[in-house]
Amino acid sequence: MKSIRWGDFVILVIALAIVVGSYFTYGEVGGKPMVHVKVGTQTWVYDLSVDRNFIVEGPIGSTEIEIHDGQVHVVDSDCKNKVCVSSGWKHAIGDWIICLPNNVFIMIEGVEKQDEQAVDAISF
Amino acid sequence: MSKQSMRYPSKDQAPVRIRLVAIMAAFTLFLSTIEYLIPKPVPFMRIGLANLPLMIALGLFTYKEYALLVLLKFLGQQLVTGTIFSYVAVFSFGGTLASALTMFVLYHGLKQHVGMVGIAIAGAMASNIVQLILSRFILFGESAWLIAPPFLTMGLVTALLLGLFANTFIKTSKWYQSRSVS
Repeated sequence: MKSIRWGDFVILVIALAIVVGSYFTYGEVGGKPMVHVKVGTQTWVYDLSVDRNFIVEGPIGSTEIEIHDGQVHVVDSDCKNKVCVSSGWKHAIGDWIICLPNNVFIMIEGVEKQDEQAVDAISF
Repeated sequence: MSKQSMRYPSKDQAPVRIRLVAIMAAFTLFLSTIEYLIPKPVPFMRIGLANLPLMIALGLFTYKEYALLVLLKFLGQQLVTGTIFSYVAVFSFGGTLASALTMFVLYHGLKQHVGMVGIAIAGAMASNIVQLILSRFILFGESAWLIAPPFLTMGLVTALLLGLFANTFIKTSKWYQSRSVS
């Protein structure tokens, strides 16, 4: 009486498209390098590929952070030693900048591609 | 039968119909138990055995009877798994409602063009997507999408198999054919 009709194939194709499409969420969640800015207990996440200039407020004052051309650096900070400012530009996944006096922690997070994995350090 | 008609002379069909709903609800309860027995790598990966009676019932019931069966299926399943007073019940209710609605509309709207396989897949997809959206907003936040691919794949495969089974059942069962309204 009832068997497989053409509507079954239409639904099957739509369902397959949804299932296959769902696998692309993995790439988006893990792949892009993101800048995690942690101030105290709060964390902000920024896309490393989008240019941006912003200021975060820590316990002793403000820290100005800039993202430009896939790199991040601290422009200025209200701390004494300016270690964070002299850290310079960071772009690789796993790189970080820290400002201890102002309790600001900046880290680039993401999933490294196979060919980008490099040796951290070599000693002789 | 004659005794029945004597007892309910005006609407002798009613008790027969409600008994049919009860039988199908009993099937969902039984299959929920079987489903619960089967070990699974993660608890939310389900085969959806209990949806088989819901598919078969499409050709047997009016929308009121069908709604009653869906409600009984939800309650029975939650009783078996012991999750009736937990957040799991919300997910189950949302999923069951979505899939039942999708299947009912598809069956009665596109009966000529869609068989049980399509109906099963559409129902499973509706149920899974609603559950994913619920878990996105109630439980896990954005990371809910990470379970989407295996969840949806599993649903598609089991729905395909259940749909084929339902097709065969409807084609060959004399019990079904003697009760089918279409």
